[in-house]
Amino acid sequence: MGMNFRGFFDWFFGLFGYRKNIRLGIYGATNVGKTTLANRISLDWTGEEIGKVSEIPHETRTVQKKEKVEIKLNRRKILINLLDMPGLATKVDYREFLKYGLSKKAAKQRAREATDGVIEAIKWLSNVDTVLAVMDATQDPLTQVNITLLGNLEARKIPVIVVANKIDLKRAKPNEIKEAFPQYPVVPVSALKGRNMDELYEAIAKYARRAK
Amino acid sequence: MKIKMDFVSSAMLDKKPKKKRINFILNKVKDGSILVVDGVMTAEEEMELIRETMRRVDDGFPGIEVCSLKKQVRGFQSFLERLSDQRTRIQKVLIGRIPETSLKTGITLVGPARYIKKIKKNPNSFSVLAEA
Repeated sequence: MGMNFRGFFDWFFGLFGYRKNIRLGIYGATNVGKTTLANRISLDWTGEEIGKVSEIPHETRTVQKKEKVEIKLNRRKILINLLDMPGLATKVDYREFLKYGLSKKAAKQRAREATDGVIEAIKWLSNVDTVLAVMDATQDPLTQVNITLLGNLEARKIPVIVVANKIDLKRAKPNEIKEAFPQYPVVPVSALKGRNMDELYEAIAKYARRAK
Repeated sequence: MKIKMDFVSSAMLDKKPKKKRINFILNKVKDGSILVVDGVMTAEEEMELIRETMRRVDDGFPGIEVCSLKKQVRGFQSFLERLSDQRTRIQKVLIGRIPETSLKTGITLVGPARYIKKIKKNPNSFSVLAEA
């Protein structure tokens, strides 16, 4: 298919190391550290956080946005719109939230919002240019959520960087993620401690593209 | 309490349009059955299954657990699959939506999250722990 005007300008400015308005979606299962990562990226480049972090699953239940985040690396500049997505899940049980001290009413409300959040995150797959697929390096990566997410991104030809998060924890095994998904660039990081973020920014600079 | 398992042929599901296929699966699972199919949905269809599941979550139905193993194809068969995927993309451009597709070779298990406690997946196998 031929290149349209937007594609031409992207290509032209890309020659000078400048890409702009890339919608960078942060996807993954619940509690893998998506918002911690979004906050880290946002703090590093804008000085402001993007959302609230919690140990209770489904804390992020609507898409959190931070627009015009400029990442500068050597002579390259990339302007991104950061999109922190609600966690993907195949189940949402309000009883899980009771364990964290929520009232039954609050737990049920949270569950309703969480299911809406998953639906919203899936809907946004049509509106992102590049995706950071975040996985918890202390957990088994071969989950159906991860496999389905990566399969969808591949079918839609959306560039993806797999982020193996939580490498500050002793039981983290980022190599298991690399072995499970050898066809993708995998960057081990600790979003919480800010470890190895430079390598992630290099990967974003290398792979982030606007959707065709 | 007993757990019911339903084994369904992919040929039967292939006859149904995508929406009815997902409805069939979710109706069975919501009734408490663990469904095993000798086929694998596309990643897009599986995401649609997750989306439809979220629409149906309520106090008694927290959702599903799903696991699939796709047969690794090589050589000429792999070429044919890629050709089929390309045809699907072209049809999507032409008709504006993803056309109905057949299940691919493999195995899929879908069950109620309230019964399936754990799924351990390896590249070539998976094991399921269920408890009623």
